[in-house]
Amino acid sequence: MPILVKTHSSQQTPEWAIIELQGDLEVRSNQDMHDQFIGDLSYNKYGQPILIIGHHILQGREQKLDKPFAVLEKSKTNEGQQLLANVDATLDATTLNTTGAERTLLDNTVALEHKSRQRTEYTVRAICTKKLIFKSRPKPIIANVAKSV
Amino acid sequence: MEHMEVNKNAPQLYVRTPEDVKAIVRHAKLDERQLTQCTQALYYPSADIVADNIRLLELDGHMLQQIRNGQSLYFKGGLHEKLVLCTDERTYDVKGAEISNSLLLVPDLKFAASTSTSPLKSPRTSNANSSLERSLNDSAEDELEVPRTLDQRKVLGIFHEYFECRQIQPRYRKLGELLQMTRFSGSENEEFIERKLLFSFQQLLDTVQCSRAEFVEGLRQYRALEFNGYLRVLDYEYEYRIVNLMLGLISENSWQLDEVQREETIAALEGIAPESIVAGLFDIYTVPSVRCPEKFKYQEELVARIVAQNILQPGLRFRNEEFMSTWQDALPEGMTCRIEYLRGLGICDKEGAQPCIRSLAEEHLPTTIHERMRALFKTKRKWTLEEMEPYIECFTTPTLSVSTLLAKHARCLTEAGVRYYVSKH
Repeated sequence: MPILVKTHSSQQTPEWAIIELQGDLEVRSNQDMHDQFIGDLSYNKYGQPILIIGHHILQGREQKLDKPFAVLEKSKTNEGQQLLANVDATLDATTLNTTGAERTLLDNTVALEHKSRQRTEYTVRAICTKKLIFKSRPKPIIANVAKSV
Repeated sequence: MEHMEVNKNAPQLYVRTPEDVKAIVRHAKLDERQLTQCTQALYYPSADIVADNIRLLELDGHMLQQIRNGQSLYFKGGLHEKLVLCTDERTYDVKGAEISNSLLLVPDLKFAASTSTSPLKSPRTSNANSSLERSLNDSAEDELEVPRTLDQRKVLGIFHEYFECRQIQPRYRKLGELLQMTRFSGSENEEFIERKLLFSFQQLLDTVQCSRAEFVEGLRQYRALEFNGYLRVLDYEYEYRIVNLMLGLISENSWQLDEVQREETIAALEGIAPESIVAGLFDIYTVPSVRCPEKFKYQEELVARIVAQNILQPGLRFRNEEFMSTWQDALPEGMTCRIEYLRGLGICDKEGAQPCIRSLAEEHLPTTIHERMRALFKTKRKWTLEEMEPYIECFTTPTLSVSTLLAKHARCLTEAGVRYYVSKH
């Protein structure tokens, strides 16, 4: 049974942004990071994004994505498998290629079974066509330099 | 992000203020006047956002257009099939891609242009400007201190993977296999058909890994028609018999090839075959006549192929001329057989003392490219590109042509100026 990916017309599909950082954002302690402040994003007058995280400053640039992203959200259901998560698992199964009609028939009956209970759906929440990419190494900010007298 | 346990005694959440921003900007030795008016403070996602439910899917231009138009997409795949994603027209292979960079997904984030009240400067024009002019402009801005606005933005998720798609050929094999199990060979044989194996248009569309448009095209290729609410293909011999009767009406009624009449054809076969079968076959085999409105013309290639299929039973081989003349004789007057019409049905083997034609049906070959290559080189040692094409093209994608596939899976050699492909091993 196909899994529907619902879309809305372009007016209702907002444009979201992606900020691409090299590497990971990590915190030293095992602190819960939900809702915690990450950093300030500013732009200079030429449109270059500047991101300040802690005492690091990153300079990036705005880039159009060659291949835009769709943000898919899975509808909350208790039943049904999460299909996308199974992509890799199904890979092995198909390379085995047990031949003939027997297999397709089986797949089909399985598909028919699923019809009754699988209710997984995805919705395209947003489209991303641009990203801010920070490729360069973060530079440290040294704040308390003794003022020369 | 990795630490998901919720701290019950979480301290009051820190909220960034414009003063904080100004301070850090000063510390960073940035000139605040060189920044656009709006700074955005980024925060980690809230605990109630389940990032597992959010996926990034890379799109090509066609998919983007479909989404913008509000068209639905579908994931399709049975339990043992590799997942595909379909738009209304195309089919894509879906694969997870991992990256070491972090992708922070931020709803409502402002890009540079919308954070500035004045148009952004382009670096080039600023260089070209005389320094005098620029300093004048800058000093003008110096005087009025623009207050800094601060927007709070929450990151929705941090991703290290996304799904990438690659357009592929529709996977028809299952459609063919399912239809072959219930071949129609006349109403008198219907009692032997397993009812459970009959499928409607919608049932098959739901299970076959291709888009709707490709599915309709696939039905045309398999010459499937609807009978009593189910999609069916006909037994070759039965199909040949009915088509032959239909073709017979041309000479019987002294029609020109492009003045075939639909109603008359259906009426003439009443009692011989069910009406929906005859009507279905008629619609598959004919196209509207260009010359005479309301009249039709049989497609030469389709007619020639069903005739050839009937002569060229699996396992048989014919001398070249013998086959061509038998084939030609079986066609209605005015139609000509051509060797190209055998595409995917049979091959011309010139290796023996006598060139001969033998059956090699594409639909009976293995489904993976490795095994198919092996099978092909087993039946015939060396092939030209044109000969192999009908058997390999189902593996092509817009970026992977038949010759690229052959370069990878076969060895190429040139004999007497002709390029042949032979087995790699």
